[in-house]
Amino acid sequence: MATTDEWRRQHQRYKEDVKRRGKPFYPYAMFHDTVMSLVVVSVIIGLAAVWYYTSGEDPKTCGSGDSCLLGPRYSEPADPATTNFVPRPDWYFYFLFYLLRIFKWPDSVILGTVGIPTVMLIIAFALPFLDRRMERRLTRRPVAIVAAILVVISMGELTYKGAIAKEALASEVVQAVPSWAQRQGFANNAEAVAGAKIFASSGCTACHTYLGTGSSNQGAPDLSAEATRGKSKQQLMAYIRDPSQFGNNIMPKFGFSDQQLSQLAAFLLASKGPK
Amino acid sequence: MAVTTRTRKSARRRQLEAAINYPIDWLEERSGLIGGLRYFLFRKVPGDTNWFHTLGSATLTAFLVQALTGVILAMYYQPDATVNPATGTSAAYGSIQHITNDLTLGWLVRGMHKWGASVFIILLFFHMARVFLFGAYKYPRELNWIIGVTLLVFGMLEGFTGYLLPWDQTAYWATVVGINLNGTAPILGPFLADFLRGGAEIGGDTLSRFYSLHMLLLPGAIFALIGLHLYLVIRLGVTSPPWSREAAGTDWNEKPSENGRSGLTQPSGRSAWRRNGADT
Ligand code: HEM
Repeated sequence: MATTDEWRRQHQRYKEDVKRRGKPFYPYAMFHDTVMSLVVVSVIIGLAAVWYYTSGEDPKTCGSGDSCLLGPRYSEPADPATTNFVPRPDWYFYFLFYLLRIFKWPDSVILGTVGIPTVMLIIAFALPFLDRRMERRLTRRPVAIVAAILVVISMGELTYKGAIAKEALASEVVQAVPSWAQRQGFANNAEAVAGAKIFASSGCTACHTYLGTGSSNQGAPDLSAEATRGKSKQQLMAYIRDPSQFGNNIMPKFGFSDQQLSQLAAFLLASKGPK
Repeated sequence: MAVTTRTRKSARRRQLEAAINYPIDWLEERSGLIGGLRYFLFRKVPGDTNWFHTLGSATLTAFLVQALTGVILAMYYQPDATVNPATGTSAAYGSIQHITNDLTLGWLVRGMHKWGASVFIILLFFHMARVFLFGAYKYPRELNWIIGVTLLVFGMLEGFTGYLLPWDQTAYWATVVGINLNGTAPILGPFLADFLRGGAEIGGDTLSRFYSLHMLLLPGAIFALIGLHLYLVIRLGVTSPPWSREAAGTDWNEKPSENGRSGLTQPSGRSAWRRNGADT
């Protein structure tokens, strides 16, 4: 740890060294800066061109007619009702997004949503006051190096996991309904089957798992044996109608009709867990 | 004869120079801007400044690309979630389609804005990594590090607010999840979520709110912070690479460390000689 006087002397030395042995910003540093900026602008134009020329006006043709190397131009129009969605932020939020899957709702999810990000941010802000040694050479800063490597590895790993995490698409999930009905034994219960279809097509499996389908996201529980948790049909309907009333601020309000709510509840009450 | 032409020529040149210099001098006398520019361009930087030091200005370039393309997009984009009965889609989504598919070079402007955002974020992280590895956050540059972290946060918020604007499924549902996550924070969370949504549901009010944050508040704050950041960079100077043999500010007369490992990266003796040699 260096004293304030040592720091001041060091910076004084720095200024003298630069004055004596430095070179003018223009043209030396400015030349490098200009080359780098041209590279940056070219890369941006290149990405825009690849994105545009490999995609088409219709987002649905991605994968069939168009290769969409960098994704579609836009997805389908926002529709709060269909909820046939794959909720996924832009890539630089993947690490946060994946962090949430590690923690289970509702006990520890706050650690993922607020706890860890806040601590990381505080450490980032406070860094100059945590590391007060004058040493700048990497070989003499083992703690800084290890911390940097750990941060890069964990952020990289979380980003990668977030990128490959597969959200089942609703259209695929609906295919699983007959097998659910058979395994849970509710094939003859028309109301439950209707509820299962709503469950499969509304995007519930983006966060909940059901008999191995879907992804446990943001700590949402598995619902394969929801009937065993002792909730009544009324309770289930009220919960799904507005989860925030029950302290669940993550699960959205889907805006289901009373009939849909009743079907969903019937489906959940028929879900006693596979034999 | 030859003599007269030469004097006449140089008289003309003198006149020309005076004509060029006049506005420059006028401006300098009234603002000092020319002197400032001259200081900026010809100030000394450490002789061992290298490619790593270009990451900051590269980040600046990426941000300027965002600002420029953003201004053009704002001329055509409509932050309106109302569904147009004729087309069956929202005005916002329709304007995004129009910009991308119909306008001359609209795809380029939108594509550059969309992909420039990612490039900007990557460069932010690279620039931050270089500052970290160089130990450039230490005295007297602590404040600039803190401004930098704030810029990183604001940059990511730009990404979050901008992602909603196309008003497509990806945008909508990513924002639903994002806002709900904010809502889990203790005490402030629900207020924040309500503020971002602008109501109980995500809808037209959320869209105009995000649009305003995305194109007024956040970029304004980022511009101001970049100004402050660059002011401090110019005032304090940039740090030499720590591995450099002639890193500015190194105390070569420092005693070799007791464990005798000083020769590992910095053979003792020779550098002390160098510095002393330069002094005399
Ligand atoms: C919009 C974002 C930013 C812009 C435009 C920007 C721009 C710059 C520029 C042009 C420099 C001069 C030296 C160089 O290029 O490396 C610089 C230095 C610096 N930046 Fe940034 N920066 C940004 C974000 C950040 C971030 C996220 C951090 C760290 C958390 C940061 C911390 C610093 C520090 C401490 C210096 C002084 C480095 C030294 O003395 O060697 N900046 N910045």
